[in-house]
Amino acid sequence: MDRLLVVRCPELLGEDEDGDALRAFATVVAAVGTYCPWVTPVRPGVCSIPARGPARYFGGETALVALVRDTVATVTPAEVGVADGLAAAVLAASEGVVVPAGGTAAFLAPRPVTTLAGPDLAGLLGRLGIRTLGQFAALPEAHVLGRFGAAGALCHRVAAGRDGEAGDLREPRTAGVLDQLRQDRPREAGYDGGPSGAGFWGGASDADVRAARSLAAVQELLGPAAVLTARLQGGRDPAARARFVTWAGGRPARETASTAPWPGRIPPPAPAVVHPTPLHAELADGRGEPARVSARGLLTTTPARLSVDGGPWAELAAWAGPWPSEERWWSRSRRRGARLQVVTDAAAHLLVTERGRWRVEATYG
Amino acid sequence: MFVVPPRPRAADAPPPAGGAAPRQAIDRTLDPDARAALARLAVRTRPVAASRTRLLPVSGVVAGLLPDGALRRGSSLVVGGPGEQAVLSLALALVAEASRTGSWCALVGHDGLGAVAASDLGVDLDRLAVVPRPGPAWAETTATLIDGVDLVVLVPPFAPRPAMARRLVARARERGTVLVALPGRTGWPEPPDLRLLVEEATWEGTAAGAGHLTRRLVVVTAQGRRSAARARQCRLWLPAPDGTVAAVDAPDGTRGPGA
Repeated sequence: MDRLLVVRCPELLGEDEDGDALRAFATVVAAVGTYCPWVTPVRPGVCSIPARGPARYFGGETALVALVRDTVATVTPAEVGVADGLAAAVLAASEGVVVPAGGTAAFLAPRPVTTLAGPDLAGLLGRLGIRTLGQFAALPEAHVLGRFGAAGALCHRVAAGRDGEAGDLREPRTAGVLDQLRQDRPREAGYDGGPSGAGFWGGASDADVRAARSLAAVQELLGPAAVLTARLQGGRDPAARARFVTWAGGRPARETASTAPWPGRIPPPAPAVVHPTPLHAELADGRGEPARVSARGLLTTTPARLSVDGGPWAELAAWAGPWPSEERWWSRSRRRGARLQVVTDAAAHLLVTERGRWRVEATYG
Repeated sequence: MFVVPPRPRAADAPPPAGGAAPRQAIDRTLDPDARAALARLAVRTRPVAASRTRLLPVSGVVAGLLPDGALRRGSSLVVGGPGEQAVLSLALALVAEASRTGSWCALVGHDGLGAVAASDLGVDLDRLAVVPRPGPAWAETTATLIDGVDLVVLVPPFAPRPAMARRLVARARERGTVLVALPGRTGWPEPPDLRLLVEEATWEGTAAGAGHLTRRLVVVTAQGRRSAARARQCRLWLPAPDGTVAAVDAPDGTRGPGA
């Protein structure tokens, strides 16, 4: 049985004709959604969220109840409670209490049977002398099933704290009505509705809609993480200056300030190809001796030949560097190395050496 | 009889007062912020490359390679060369201006895009979707993208079968999408509308251990079908010292730390 937090807004319980209450309830649902995205609208004026995760994050169930109550109170007076199962949680909300885990049966026991049972069952139980849910829960389950049928048995399980809800607690239409309301609402800043509008004043144009649709189709084909978009950020080497994020419907990203100075960054122009995993490389001088960068940041010999990924040796036409770099020396992820630009007849590479090994970090393709 | 005196025409007015004065007045009333906002608005309200326009804009320097001075919608291009040098840069330079004016671009099959270089070349990264590893479904991915975006840069992972290439080209023509293929060594079996070849690429700025790479001289030959049958050759700085593309003969292209 799930541990649920229920928000009950007494003023929004009834349906009104002009929909004000429903609109206010939509706001409440959005507000509760800031604590947990899985808000279930139970019926107009009542919604629930799973309590376990948010309670752990916000410092306990009591703290979460207080937070949610304060948040919703900015919209409408609210009653908030936590319990196991929806039926008990709604009751707990109307009393504003947090029922401890496993305490549902004890919480329900002193209440009259009418709180859970429908009028038929409640009347029958009353005539049998069973007035409280505790008395009802004490009856043997098999006999309840035989005497009162499936509905009675379910009600009995709820009263005993073994099941979450019974009867017509939910109104399934509510979620649909709220969705409808959300679509009818005009687009606002920060609200990301479906693509619409003509695009003349900066909304989504037809071309944007078409592009978003085909990119979504590719994501369906290959998986969401297969379609990426690049964002620039600060950094020294070309790989650090760009970040690829999963395509998310073409929403413009927040601008990252990349104007901050990064002393020691590779001078422009930037390489057009940045290898996702740097390629192994070997650098040697004219006699075949491997070229290294010493601890003082100097080349041990004049580089003359380069071999990328075990390929054939290529003569260097020119080279520049080395540029030593020591990043995050204060932390465990420290990196100490040097970079070198080399030009062969076929390509220009940005090499990096770390712990005596050369790798091709980027190619000026 | 009553004679209506002729209205003074604009040409009759004394030159300093006619036309220049009102503009000056407007200029003086607008503070720089408002003028910058107006300029931004002008950019936003500028017609984007809608489906009715048959041409997608290309920045001035690269435009000299293209027969129309722009990318014709529905056309297919192949960018290649004897080596791998400058091929991706040239393709990015081709799509840059279109992406900046509101067209959507996609790069399929290249998993090492240097985003900084792309941005420096003028590509609007917000309008560039990258599908780095489409795997075996690369053709299907490309076809789907051709349906939706305006420019698709395709790096096929292996040599496509002629029928598949033909189908992609036909689809691009039908949808009005520009397909730029970067086949590398694998080859592209379908004759494109235009083939751009990087003939030479020479880096400048480095010596034995001194300086740093500043700019690359690239000689590109463009040859194609119909109006592009006559080969055109163009010498470009790709990239120029600031990462953009510049003409070699332009005054700002000849300056620079490497010169």
